Amino acid sequence: MRKLEEKRELLYVIRTLDVLMSSGVGLEAALLTIGKGGYGIISEDFSSLMKRLRKGNSGGLDKELKSLTKKAESAGYKRLLNTLYTNVTQNTDLVETLKKQGTRMEEERSEEVEKYIQELGGVPETLLSIGMIGPIILSIVGLVPQLMSGDLGSFMSLPDPAVISTVVNIGLILTLVGMALVGLKAHTKDPGL
Amino acid sequence: MIFGLLESFNESPLLLYLGVIAVACVGGGIPPMLERRRRRAIENQLPTFLEALSDSVGAGRGLQEAMMEQSESNDGLLASLLSATLKEAHASSFEASLSAFAAKTRSSQVQRVMMLIETAIQQDSSLRDILADLSRDYERLNDLMNQRETELSGRGILIILFVSVGLPVLIAFIVGLFAPASKGFQITGFNQTFSLFFAAASAVAVGVSGRMMGRLKDTLWWLPLWMAVSMGLYLGAVKAVGG
Repeated sequence: MRKLEEKRELLYVIRTLDVLMSSGVGLEAALLTIGKGGYGIISEDFSSLMKRLRKGNSGGLDKELKSLTKKAESAGYKRLLNTLYTNVTQNTDLVETLKKQGTRMEEERSEEVEKYIQELGGVPETLLSIGMIGPIILSIVGLVPQLMSGDLGSFMSLPDPAVISTVVNIGLILTLVGMALVGLKAHTKDPGL
Repeated sequence: MIFGLLESFNESPLLLYLGVIAVACVGGGIPPMLERRRRRAIENQLPTFLEALSDSVGAGRGLQEAMMEQSESNDGLLASLLSATLKEAHASSFEASLSAFAAKTRSSQVQRVMMLIETAIQQDSSLRDILADLSRDYERLNDLMNQRETELSGRGILIILFVSVGLPVLIAFIVGLFAPASKGFQITGFNQTFSLFFAAASAVAVGVSGRMMGRLKDTLWWLPLWMAVSMGLYLGAVKAVGG
């Protein structure tokens, strides 16, 4: 969940940092602005980072950025934090790097959405195969004790109706679980638009 | 006739409860749909509007003047909302008008753009470049969102229709034809099991479909309706075919 939220907000954070720092605002002031809110989980991260810095009980901005990198889950957010860390420790051209990262994030997002659409192309077929074939077979199995109860019953011995009923129930539950697992793909692969 | 129809489902109280809950939930499901349509209309107009603003600012207009001109010369909800907000702001600052406009649109895209414009104004940044960048960013984002919507909505509807409508009717025909209750077949327990399964399968199908389109919360309002439809179709078709 955190990964998805990070991915959703990251591009906007990069663009804002770019605007702020291109205008001559310092890194700490830019982090403070983003920490004030509007960028979800990243705002929360930057807000708590600035609070710790203000209290004076942290090892400095570089150490805070390093520890936040460990907490970050998405590759893009880790990359941004690493860029900020490198800027603090080595005085790099942050604005130029942010512009490049923004463009890269934009391209990655487009690729991810296209990949998501492609990957979900097979979900309806798989879900319907499990969700339709299973119940059709199980309904016939469930009807067997009724259909074979007359003269047909003397031709072959059938399991107890309670056993058949249990098999059908378990089969239907497994079908539901299978459908939910196939559908889970739609959640786990979400690009976070 | 309605009471007669309801009485035929007396053995399935869950269906009747779900029916009542579904009617109530439809009331909650329609507003998010209308709101979404309104929001997406605004968001789809945003890139063109930002591009026009960038051109005007590049031509030497002030941002407020450019916004006023564009809001009056363009059609659509975005332009009319901005025009109304700027006209209403008699005694407030331009920044306050922008915030009011952003809040009125109820769109996170517009709110982000206005926040960035406000920051750029405060920091005296080059608005022309920022507006052009934002226009490009949001055009791509909206294209992606529209692409996802177009390509996945058909598949989502297909899942719901097959699981909630096609499957119950098909199995009801099998049951009604081969084991009709009118000929003494004892299928009450069987029907109960399968109607519960169809309700649960419909819930899964609606959930998956909603998640595919990225609006699970909005589609949850329609969950009881589809559950009731699939249960009702199954039990109704079994009665209609098998007596």
